[in-house]
Amino acid sequence: MSTGAIIFMTLSWAFVLGLMAWAFYRLLTHKAHHDPDGIGPKSPPMPPAKGGAK
Amino acid sequence: MASSTTNNPNEAWGSRIGLILAMAGNAVGLGNFLRFPTQATANGGGSFMVTYFIALLLLGIPLMWIEWGVGRNGGLYRKGHLPGMFAAIWKHPAAKYVGVVGMVVPLTVMIYYTYIESWTAAFAWFSLTKDYWGITTQEGMVEYLRSFQGIRAEGATVYHQSWTPYAFFIGTLAINIYVLSKGISGGIEKLAKIGMPILFFLAIVLAISIVMMPPQPGIGSSPLQGLEFIYSADLSRIGEPSVWLASAGQIFFTLSVGMGSLQAYASYLSKKDDIALNGIATASTNEVAEVVLGGTIAIPAAVTFFGVAGAMAIAQGGSFNLGFATMPVVFQQMPMGNLLGVAWFGLLFFAGITSSVSMLTPTVAFFREEFGFRRAQTAWILGGVALLFGLMHVQWLQYGFLDEWDYWAGTFGLVLVAVLETVIFMWIFKPENAWKSIHMGADIQIPRIFKFIMTYVTPIYLFIILGWWGWQDAIPILLNERAAGGGPVAAENIPYITMSRGIIVLFAVVFLVFIRAAWKRNKYDDRKGFELADRSGEA
Repeated sequence: MSTGAIIFMTLSWAFVLGLMAWAFYRLLTHKAHHDPDGIGPKSPPMPPAKGGAK
Repeated sequence: MASSTTNNPNEAWGSRIGLILAMAGNAVGLGNFLRFPTQATANGGGSFMVTYFIALLLLGIPLMWIEWGVGRNGGLYRKGHLPGMFAAIWKHPAAKYVGVVGMVVPLTVMIYYTYIESWTAAFAWFSLTKDYWGITTQEGMVEYLRSFQGIRAEGATVYHQSWTPYAFFIGTLAINIYVLSKGISGGIEKLAKIGMPILFFLAIVLAISIVMMPPQPGIGSSPLQGLEFIYSADLSRIGEPSVWLASAGQIFFTLSVGMGSLQAYASYLSKKDDIALNGIATASTNEVAEVVLGGTIAIPAAVTFFGVAGAMAIAQGGSFNLGFATMPVVFQQMPMGNLLGVAWFGLLFFAGITSSVSMLTPTVAFFREEFGFRRAQTAWILGGVALLFGLMHVQWLQYGFLDEWDYWAGTFGLVLVAVLETVIFMWIFKPENAWKSIHMGADIQIPRIFKFIMTYVTPIYLFIILGWWGWQDAIPILLNERAAGGGPVAAENIPYITMSRGIIVLFAVVFLVFIRAAWKRNKYDDRKGFELADRSGEA
């Protein structure tokens, strides 16, 4: 494989694997009382105010 | 999450992981392992990958949130189908009828997709029993595949009894309907919890087996040269519109957006449940299956055994030849090849079935919610409908019957649904309400740039795709200037093509009648909307 292809592949894999790892880390480490799995925030966040979430 | 349901007291996701696996199972399909590598190879490797990731950020992930948002919002009003979801957002008499595309598309796609899925079950069996062992050329395997499909050219060898494809189709359909009849947590979630780990395990085993292969004598190519094909740092084609459209199309198909099934799954969530992080988790799981695993199996194997030029020709021959003709030839040359064959076709089967069971969910939801039918009863009745029309595909595959459905429902229809839901959710519902809706119960704050992207960039992207495909493909196909499956239209195929299209129109008419009857039966007022069904999040 050429160096360019190795860089491309590494970046592509790192992006998707990193995104998945981040998503599942957040998902598994945030505890929620309303969740039978025991994951999620302690209380549901309020919907963002008009103009979007701050 | 998922403790409270909005759609039915007996229908809820049992766990968050189960929901994400089911959503990811819905997204991970045959396209991850067959379509992605061929598209990447045919569209310039690196150029394709750059545009692919841009499309993921501007089209795929925003659409994922839109679909979860449309679905969860519909579920708050006990609507698990697009006519109801659209009517919940857009208080206009036309909304429910516009939603008919979200009923026709998943039913139509499920029927022919299950038939294709049955090929993978059949080939897993043929691999286990070494039925095709000894056929060591691609041409020979294409003939073998045609024999199974019942397409028999004059003088071609007949390998299978004529009932074989029917038996596998009926068996595959029965499994689908059985899972569907068992409900959300008892059927679909259980299947995802079993099927998805198996799918990833098989994909990892295959990827490692192929990457570890030494160069073959007389060929001289290694699996790493196959990876070079997909990830070549060639950016010379990045200015070509066709590359941008191909990557946008791949992102679109791989995430299973525009199908109505993600929305139906999301309708079983309450306003306390997160959809922002779940959407990212689902999309990223699908991307790992596609980019990391899908890119590491078929093309590297083809390059190793057929050389660079051979693999390029295979990629241009299409996804099915790669999966059903090339890979069986490869497995025959590998140690424990028949077991690897079972792993490959088993992987495709699990990828297929976790997608196909989701496709009837909106239709089942419609009849349950609007007419009070029981789930099992509805599932088996729909199974009967799928059997009736699916048998037509088995019988008339060679006449382009399936290609028509694949184009009008499985390609054009998906983009149409996505355009409609994006316009209704982001423009008619208004960006503020859409943004607020997506953030109800959210575990993460989505960067605000995505609000702009979802309001302007994603719809424009979709309109360009719809317009381009409409101009390039839909009009010539509709006028029979060329076949939906490519090439010229054979005169003998025209009656079958007409019938194929006629059935899609028939589905639309029947669903429109049912929608009208449902609204009359339940005395819905289009201008007032529905009553909230979920009170769980209220103080």
